[in-house]
Amino acid sequence: MTSAETSTIGAARQAAAADRTIVAFCCRECAYAAADASANARTPLPPTVRLVLLPCTGRVSPLHLLSALAEGADGVMVAGCLLGQCHYREGNFNAVDRVAFVQRLLKSVGVEPERCQMFTMSAGEPPKFVAAVREMDRVIGGLPPLERSPQATAHAGSALAAGARGAA
Amino acid sequence: MPLTDRGRRILERVPGGVLHSTTGVGCEIVRHEELCVGCGKCATNCPSGASRRSETFDVNQLLDAPADSRRGQLGGALRRLMRHAPDGPVEVPERVTVYRTIAYDDDKCLGCGTCVRNCPVEAIDALPPAVTP
Repeated sequence: MTSAETSTIGAARQAAAADRTIVAFCCRECAYAAADASANARTPLPPTVRLVLLPCTGRVSPLHLLSALAEGADGVMVAGCLLGQCHYREGNFNAVDRVAFVQRLLKSVGVEPERCQMFTMSAGEPPKFVAAVREMDRVIGGLPPLERSPQATAHAGSALAAGARGAA
Repeated sequence: MPLTDRGRRILERVPGGVLHSTTGVGCEIVRHEELCVGCGKCATNCPSGASRRSETFDVNQLLDAPADSRRGQLGGALRRLMRHAPDGPVEVPERVTVYRTIAYDDDKCLGCGTCVRNCPVEAIDALPPAVTP
């Protein structure tokens, strides 16, 4: 394969990855401060990422992560303080476990668990934040777009689930 | 005090057949799994060990929960993403305190109703003892 072909494929992959959406839940004390600093330094972030400010990653619930995926995000990332350095002592430990729980839920229904990831950084590490976002962008760009079934009514939805269970 | 059938059966299990008090023993415990949030307060307060908070979670409980409940919302989001039926119970990390399956053993239950008083979402009912005089 020539380098031109490789770069064409790379460009196509990049174009395909550009319409992905990543939702980043960032804690105010560390990750959002790092994001702020990286923006002040005019470091370009991948255009796919949308930042959501949280007071602490301990606020993030499995419902936030799964709803974001169900409503249009192709990946979600949670960015918090370094482990042991949470402003609220142990909020990020809670977030780590909740992210792990969501990953297991996704895996059990056949969705790639790497669509939901946790990153930690301190407020003084803007490059680490940018690296985390780029890493997430690379992972999500390599995955196909997330397929969703249309919003079903509760009744039809449970019938669907029952059918799916019956077939398994 | 007249005992229910359940109370009488419990009394048979007690060594010597003597209970110092039969107050509150013998209620029929009815668990509404679809309302349960899996916090395990029934299990931590259970005097007989009939309710047990397990380390795993059955994903089907999310999909079966009513859409307006806490679990149902999560189940609704998961249902839109799912590609096949859940593989089976998932391990729950230590710090995820809800979303757990509560194992309930009817044979061990004394029917004391402690779980009813401790349930934060009123997912457990104690039916009044059917008194047989």
